[in-house]
Amino acid sequence: MNYHAFLLWWSRTFTMTIKELKQLIRDPVLLLIIAYFFTIDVYMAGSGINLSLRNASIMAIDHDHSPASRELIYRFRPPYFDFKGDISGKNEAEERLNKGQILAVLDIPENFQRHLLQGQAETVQFQVDTSNTVLGTLATTYAMQITADFGRDFVGKQTGLNSDTMEALPVIQNRYRVLYNPNRIDSWFMSIMELLTVITMLSMMLPAAAAVREKERGTIEQLAVSPLSSLQILLPKVISMGLVILFGVAVCLFLIIIPLFHLPVKGSISLFFAVTALYVFTASGIGLFIATISQSLGQVTMLVILLMMPILLLSGAWAPPETMPHAMYLAMTVSPLYYYNEMTYAILLKGAGIDILWDSILELSGLGVVFFNFGIWHFRRQF
Amino acid sequence: MNFTRIWAVTYKEWREIFRDRLFFIMAFVLPIGIFLVVGFGISFDVEKITFAVLDQDNTAMSRDFLHRFIDSRYFDYKGHVQSEREFDPLLADSNIRFAIIIPPRFEEQLLSGQATSVQSLIDGVFPYRAEVAKGYVTAIIANFNTQSLAEYLARKRGISKGQAIAQVSPLRLESRYLYNQALRSQWSISSGLMMLVLMVAPPFLTALGVVREKENGSIYNIYASTISRSEFILGKLLPYLLISCLNILILWWLVMHVFGTPFKGHPFFYYIASIIYVLCTSGVGLVVSLLVRTQVAAVMLTIVLSFVPAMLYSGLLVPVDSMGRETQIEAHLFPTLYYLRITWGSFLKGLGWTELWFDVAILLSYALILWGIGFLNFHKRPAE
Repeated sequence: MNYHAFLLWWSRTFTMTIKELKQLIRDPVLLLIIAYFFTIDVYMAGSGINLSLRNASIMAIDHDHSPASRELIYRFRPPYFDFKGDISGKNEAEERLNKGQILAVLDIPENFQRHLLQGQAETVQFQVDTSNTVLGTLATTYAMQITADFGRDFVGKQTGLNSDTMEALPVIQNRYRVLYNPNRIDSWFMSIMELLTVITMLSMMLPAAAAVREKERGTIEQLAVSPLSSLQILLPKVISMGLVILFGVAVCLFLIIIPLFHLPVKGSISLFFAVTALYVFTASGIGLFIATISQSLGQVTMLVILLMMPILLLSGAWAPPETMPHAMYLAMTVSPLYYYNEMTYAILLKGAGIDILWDSILELSGLGVVFFNFGIWHFRRQF
Repeated sequence: MNFTRIWAVTYKEWREIFRDRLFFIMAFVLPIGIFLVVGFGISFDVEKITFAVLDQDNTAMSRDFLHRFIDSRYFDYKGHVQSEREFDPLLADSNIRFAIIIPPRFEEQLLSGQATSVQSLIDGVFPYRAEVAKGYVTAIIANFNTQSLAEYLARKRGISKGQAIAQVSPLRLESRYLYNQALRSQWSISSGLMMLVLMVAPPFLTALGVVREKENGSIYNIYASTISRSEFILGKLLPYLLISCLNILILWWLVMHVFGTPFKGHPFFYYIASIIYVLCTSGVGLVVSLLVRTQVAAVMLTIVLSFVPAMLYSGLLVPVDSMGRETQIEAHLFPTLYYLRITWGSFLKGLGWTELWFDVAILLSYALILWGIGFLNFHKRPAE
């Protein structure tokens, strides 16, 4: 291809890109919805969602009524628990658990204090509502620690085994450090995840909608007789929508996530945008393929949603790849969001660079080239 | 109300849906697909946490200690490293999510009756998982300590090992998991997904059905006909409601037989409540279809109005109690919260009318309001 032809090719592509952008700008409802996704939606996901136990309501059946039992109950307090008072017996406990008024019931047996003082091992019962697994798991974990600590402290007064003397005993002290997000701020994880969901949805939906609209209105015939190759018809749709999406990501990152949730960006922002552009390109390849096999927008949207759900859920964000059954894990490796998801958290939170992520970048590029070419090839076959 | 006219619209709509084969298939495949993928894709069971080890002691005791992690089903051993530096790229690339460092003189210190410390590094990107992983580590170490201390005390003070254990770990918590004995999140997630899918699919169908007529212009036939607006809306939506009522049964079957979730409640009550919920969510689709003119906008707006609240504000993934105050208020504005209570109540707790009538009443009023808005704002003479 000589220089002149090259220039002509790009000037045509550029003109088409401008046309796509103009078309998008003239649909104010759609623009408004896109703006909503990148701002309010991400903000709501980040600010509202909290996967931790806070002020879980708990009640106690105290058969002992001793100083020891009161002291144990007293240890179930905020931030994790909120003690709501005593109840008479099992029936009432069951009724309140059924109604969802309380999360758990602590059942302290008779002679609780006496047994502890006599040096007998004692057990308290903890009934917990696990219809919500997250709450149930966390409540049990914390309750176990609280009870064990109390037991050791209480008995320790006699046996001399308390936290002060532990230094001189053969025990392992647990020194843990939570990396990357030491204060357990859920909004970092949640807002980034929502942003990735939005990017996925828009980069599949927008180019596909732009392509199928031409079909529905019949304007595709005009394009087909113009001196444009199918790449030149489809690529501008991806470029224009990609630009809009990247702009949205910038708005979201610099106006919502960083200033409002105080996300400390550890890695390079430009690497993140480069990876995002690559991902938008890959996902829109899938969208274009959908556009070529459907005849109307109704069909496009259904197919997009049908494909988007597995892509979102097999991304590794909701369930890490290592816990997946083997078949699901194999499906994950062809999901572009899986690589993008890992890279996003690695760049933004862990400060990883190209030296660590090069293999994921290569894999994502490979998927992108395959999906995009498949979409174009299928499009060409239609005429 | 003229039932012949309603029936005519219903029949026409049914033929139309049935002739668009892709649409017809999708009307059933979409909910089932969403259901299966989410059901298998989301798991809050924290298992197989990948980890690597730096053992600076390398003695019998340190290996014994490490085997408590390696043999545990909660952890997945990925190998040893030679220096702490090697952990950084492994953690950054998510090859491992947890690292444990055993100091030199680990065995020597424990045998001589001194305390030692083990350092663990936990990937905190997803805070909930980090928290549960921390709980596992603490439990394993506490267990090791109990044995180690009991042996030490038994030797030192000349008491039996049982007495020593009673001194070291005098109080134990015995937890009983209600409603979900195995503590598998699959039970609660899979039944909860009825709420999610029935929130997403019916409004899509209704919104697309109405907006399609608008976008194609075929709605002008309706405008010009003798049919009244309530007759049109009823007739138009009946097929979609029918599809959704069928989908309730299909999903219900999947929850019970694919995910093995037992149903403890009253089937009749639950089916009635589900139909009311479908009326509610179809109402959302009806209102959306009044607001927009194109199918893309209809789909986008339906996602905004249905998917996000169903996923985030219903209590499915995040318990309502642990939301912030403002979020809790928002959560109560969506019908999803009430239907999720009905679903979990029916499936896992075996509740019925007496406990759940209030939630059903709220859903019913929700449906009435949405359909009311739909009727009042559908005009046969649109302002152009």
